[in-house]
Amino acid sequence: MNIIEIKNLSKVYDEKTIPVYALNGVDLAFKQGEFTSIVGPSGSGKTTMLNMLGGLDTPSGGKIMIDGTDITGLKSRQLIDFRMRNIGFVFQSFNLIPVLTAKENVEFIMQLQGVDREQRDKRTLELLQSVGLGEKINTRPNKLSGGQQQRVAVARALASKPKFILADEPTANLDSKSAENLLEIMEKLNREENITFIFSTHDSRVVAKARRVVTLEDGKIVSDVSKN
Amino acid sequence: MGDLRLAWRNIWRNKRRTLLTAASIFLAIFLALIVRSLQIGWFDNLAEIVVQSYTGHIQIHKKGYWDDRDINNSMAFNDSLAAVVKSNANVDKTVPRLEYFALSSFEKQTKGVMLAGTDPLKEDALTKLSAKVVKGHYLSTGENSILVSQGLASYLGLTAGDTLVLLGQGYHGISAAGKYPVCGIVHFPSPVLDNQMVYMNLATAQEFFSADSRITSLSLTLKNPDEIGNTAAALKAEVDGGKFEVMRWDEMMVEITQQLKVKTAGGKIIIAILYMIVGFGVFGTVIMMTNERTREFGVIVSVGMQKSKLAMILVLEMILIGLTGLITGVAFAMPIMLYFKLNPIHIWGSMAQAFISYGIQPLMPLALKANFILSNVATVLVIVSLTCIYPVRRIFKLKVADALHK
Ligand SMILES: Nc1ncnc2c1ncn2[C@@H]1O[C@H](COP(=O)(O)OP(=O)(O)O)[C@@H](O)[C@H]1O
Ligand SMILES: [Mg+2]
Repeated sequence: MNIIEIKNLSKVYDEKTIPVYALNGVDLAFKQGEFTSIVGPSGSGKTTMLNMLGGLDTPSGGKIMIDGTDITGLKSRQLIDFRMRNIGFVFQSFNLIPVLTAKENVEFIMQLQGVDREQRDKRTLELLQSVGLGEKINTRPNKLSGGQQQRVAVARALASKPKFILADEPTANLDSKSAENLLEIMEKLNREENITFIFSTHDSRVVAKARRVVTLEDGKIVSDVSKN
Repeated sequence: MGDLRLAWRNIWRNKRRTLLTAASIFLAIFLALIVRSLQIGWFDNLAEIVVQSYTGHIQIHKKGYWDDRDINNSMAFNDSLAAVVKSNANVDKTVPRLEYFALSSFEKQTKGVMLAGTDPLKEDALTKLSAKVVKGHYLSTGENSILVSQGLASYLGLTAGDTLVLLGQGYHGISAAGKYPVCGIVHFPSPVLDNQMVYMNLATAQEFFSADSRITSLSLTLKNPDEIGNTAAALKAEVDGGKFEVMRWDEMMVEITQQLKVKTAGGKIIIAILYMIVGFGVFGTVIMMTNERTREFGVIVSVGMQKSKLAMILVLEMILIGLTGLITGVAFAMPIMLYFKLNPIHIWGSMAQAFISYGIQPLMPLALKANFILSNVATVLVIVSLTCIYPVRRIFKLKVADALHK
């Protein structure tokens, strides 16, 4: 079953001056448990696409169905609530709230969701252990390396038990070793816990880990390859 | 992680800026409170002293008396006037007086005096004259004995038990003369009063001045002094405006009230400027705090915090900074206000001269009252809240996708 279905999605920036067609009639579907990479040259529309999928920006045309809900029809407040309950995010960098420790950052969404303290503590510890940061729970972001920060971000994205996780170039600011480490953790979570990951990248080593690769060019899908 | 703790940690991200902002608020509220405390203390003290030592809150005279305080400008104290005053619900005490100059003489000394005929009990209720007796005893109703002020007594070389001769001009130019036993000596802090006052029963004075049943002034005190404006207006409406004048203490004591008004206005302008400067300073902090965190706001709203909640945290941050300044400011101002309320400041210069000439000690206690403290605290909170409009608007207008790329 598809958890995400995109129909004829388009996004035009600066419509009134010099229009930029960042996405141009995209049809795409994602299934539970995918480990998919969105690739393409800079400016091809990867970020725009992930923003649309995550409900962070509104499309100019088309539909985005997530588990049967058309998120393009949601009001601002509803959309924020929808994101909190259904979607995990990992951004390129500076994902974390600087005044909160690793543990508090991971707890953050669970608190918004109203999860009780005992459960939060338990899950936060599990998550940080699963990303290899069981020792760093009380450390603030500025005392963590870039790779560690991204792993905390992955743990945070998982905390709310989302339907899928979106990651826009999560390794872009990491050295190759940290990048590999992050991808391994994501892969393991995908394999062992069937977590759906959709991430963009232009790092070929990262692409190599994906089981499905969707290639964008000028806002259009030019290839969609699944490996087995 | 409660919202409050998050806000608290956020404000300490930039310690220097937070401390500077809190310090500016501290200074503003501290100075504003001290200035207001001085002014209100000054005003209240003056009102209290003037009212209690001399004028009462309101006086009724024959029309024109206050400008020309002559015995011939006295008025008949009749039932209709007493009835008007009595019927006003806010009037507390009344003191009828007949005052005019006379010449005093004891053995070889002679001196001009101010002779005040009054009702001993009513006078004491208003001005606590009996408490000023330093030798002998206070006036008793019906006796023709007199009280002499200490400065005058020592000039004349007399004391309680002696007899003073008084000479003068009475009502309609009839000559006045009499010998009166001195029952007591009274001391006034004001040298002007201390060197010239002689008190006697109203009836004795009326007889001396041949001014049967006449008085020069009727002093009133009020149950609620804050209602003085309404009460004065009501009395004016009821007495015959062609015959009588109804004057508030501040209308009689023009010199003092005028100086007071100028000083109060100046202080208020200073406070307004102070608040404006601090308001802009706080606003600058708010702008910086908001702008440098745009990306972070994007992340926070992306992962699911409602904008209203985020805005609330920002407001909480500003309130915490504001309260830090406010609480310390009030905490520092309070003991100072309390100290100078209990230990009044000695004033000097022309103001002091004006005080002394009205028989007032040149002392000024600071006021310590909930209302002006609360109103200044509220003003600061309003200023801080106003500066919050900027971040709150920014957050509600935030476009998450754009913010993430900042
Ligand atoms: N906020 C924006 N305003 C105007 N144009 C934009 C904006 N964001 C992206 N674009 C344009 O849309 C196109 C796709 O951008 P983007 O989705 O960021 O590509 P990618 O992530 O693949 O590099 C580019 O031409 C880019 O310049
Ligand atoms: Mg991009």
